[in-house]
Amino acid sequence: MRDLIKMVVVLAVICTTSGVVLSYVNTATEAPREYQYIKFVQEPSMKAVLSDYDNDPIKERIKLVVGENEEGNPIETVVFPAKKGGKTHAVAYSATAKGYHDLIEVMVGVDPDGTLTGISIMTHTETPGLGARIEEPEFTDQFQGLDVDTAKLSDEGGQVDALSGATFSTAGVIAAVGSALEQFPQIKKETF
Amino acid sequence: MSVVKEFTKGLWQELPPFRLVLGLCPTLAVTTMAKNGLGMGLATTFVLINSNVIVSVLRKIIPGKVRIASYIVVIASFVVMAELLLQAYWYPMYEELGIFVPLIVVNCIILGRAEAFASKNPIVHSLADGLGIGLGFTISLTILGGIREILGTGEFFSMAVMWPSYEPFSFMVKAPGAFVCLGFLLGLMNIISRRRPAH
Repeated sequence: MRDLIKMVVVLAVICTTSGVVLSYVNTATEAPREYQYIKFVQEPSMKAVLSDYDNDPIKERIKLVVGENEEGNPIETVVFPAKKGGKTHAVAYSATAKGYHDLIEVMVGVDPDGTLTGISIMTHTETPGLGARIEEPEFTDQFQGLDVDTAKLSDEGGQVDALSGATFSTAGVIAAVGSALEQFPQIKKETF
Repeated sequence: MSVVKEFTKGLWQELPPFRLVLGLCPTLAVTTMAKNGLGMGLATTFVLINSNVIVSVLRKIIPGKVRIASYIVVIASFVVMAELLLQAYWYPMYEELGIFVPLIVVNCIILGRAEAFASKNPIVHSLADGLGIGLGFTISLTILGGIREILGTGEFFSMAVMWPSYEPFSFMVKAPGAFVCLGFLLGLMNIISRRRPAH
């Protein structure tokens, strides 16, 4: 009996200590982890979709709540403003949608009229050689100058040509861009 | 045994992947480049040193019947910590190693050292043991990664080292290349150790 109690107590103490220490490390590394994610994942995409700015969009990033997920938790989006002479002339933020394999995360740049200044694929796990071609400029450049009405497949009244052999991946990108543009009116209120 | 001997045994006598042939999953999977081997080795060393020290500190408190469970909790905590630290300070390496960072928790070298060494020896000895074995593991992975990177891509730590007309032997950076390369290294180790009298 004494052995049993000792076992339970020792394991409980070890687990509790582990939990406390890990939660401390988690909190302590939160800021640098976010910074590294921005630097290595978001910054290259952000630079691809924004141009002609003289501020530091990373430093001036804004966190906005843009709706709720299925569990009722707020969805946050990080918005990078591109400013020139102190005036915001475009913003970049990301949205996700399901591709052929998994989620595709797309960074979009939008100017105040709701026109795309460009898009860039941040993360995806599409098939190399087929769906992975969504990364190529031939595909992403099509989105430049489109808005919420025209950023659709050409079959559906838009101006985007699908990649042959990669219908689902194309649809994923279009869905992500579409959901990003749907958020735009709300983001516009807070940023421009 | 002296502390120095505990340290140096990890560098030859009990060199983890080549002499003990332990921890082969990361050894084979992440050594496509010397840099990845080094990163994996350092992450494992971090976990190994810390878990060895903690297990050694607690060796008289942990009841025998729940020792493995306790060791796993200790090891898993340090693995999560290593993962968070990699994410925070060395993000490209975190991306490269991917799933193999959380998998350090099932690396048998770490549990093996906790069970076979740290649970029976004082703190300083356990620290030296962890440092030695970890360093041996790191060096082994870097060498294996280096050989595969040189043959497979003609580069070493991402710098071109082969002559310009060298045709990369891309088989070496794929999974079968890992087995072939490891096999040759194990053979080489056996030849060398046969020439040296056993201790």
